[in-house]
Amino acid sequence: MWVYEKKLQYPIRIKNPNPALAKLICAQYGGPNGELGASLRYLSQRYTMPYPELKAILTDIGTEELGHLEMVGTIVYQLTRNLTPQQIKEAGFDSYFIDHTTGIYPADANGVPFSAGSLAVAGDAITDLHENMAADAAPFHL
Amino acid sequence: MNEQERLFRRIRAMQFAQWELHMFLDTHPNDCEAAKKLEEYRTKTAALIKEYEAAYGPMNETSANTSRWAWITGPWPWETGEEEDA
Repeated sequence: MWVYEKKLQYPIRIKNPNPALAKLICAQYGGPNGELGASLRYLSQRYTMPYPELKAILTDIGTEELGHLEMVGTIVYQLTRNLTPQQIKEAGFDSYFIDHTTGIYPADANGVPFSAGSLAVAGDAITDLHENMAADAAPFHL
Repeated sequence: MNEQERLFRRIRAMQFAQWELHMFLDTHPNDCEAAKKLEEYRTKTAALIKEYEAAYGPMNETSANTSRWAWITGPWPWETGEEEDA
C-alpha cells in the first residue's frame, strides 16, 4: 500500500504562465519517457525480480517516480494558471485546451494519450533491468 | 528566506538525504556506515521537527489536535507560488 505525504519532493513555485512550455513538459508527465511510465515500469517489474535487493530498489524507485510525477504535474499546472484566450492561442496551447482545458492529462507533447506500449515487463531480471537502463537514459531534446 | 523557511528547508534536506540513504541501503544492505548515517539523520530530523513545531505549530495536519479535519485544508502541494503575484 501507499501513504500520501501532503508535500512535493521539492517545492515548486512558478509565478508566470507559459503554455508553450507546459505543452512540452507534458512529455515528462505522460509521454513515452515520462514519470508515469517510469513508475509503472518499476512497480510492475518488481514482482518477478529474483533478489531481495531488486525487489526493494524497484519498489522504492517506483514510489519515488510517483513523487516526480506529482512535481511534473505541478509544473504543468502552474505554467497554465490564469491564461487568457489570447495566450492560449498564441502559444499553440489551443489544441490541448480544446479537450482538456487546463486539466493535467497524461499525454505526450503532441497530445497522444499515455500508453503502456512505451514500457516493457518481460519477467526476466536481466531483460527488465536492461529495459530500465534504456528508459532512464532516454533524453529529452529541447 | 525567514527563520521558519530556513528551518523547514533543513528538515526537507534531511528527509531527502534519508530517502537517498534508504535506497542506497537497498542495494548495499551490509553497509554499516550508511545505516549509521541514516539513523543519525533520523534522530536529527526528529529533533528539528520538534523545534519547528514548538515555534511555528504543527508541520503536518495530522500531528496535532485540530477543531476540524485539517487534512482538507489548502494549499495543496501544487497550489504554491501564485500568492507572490499579488
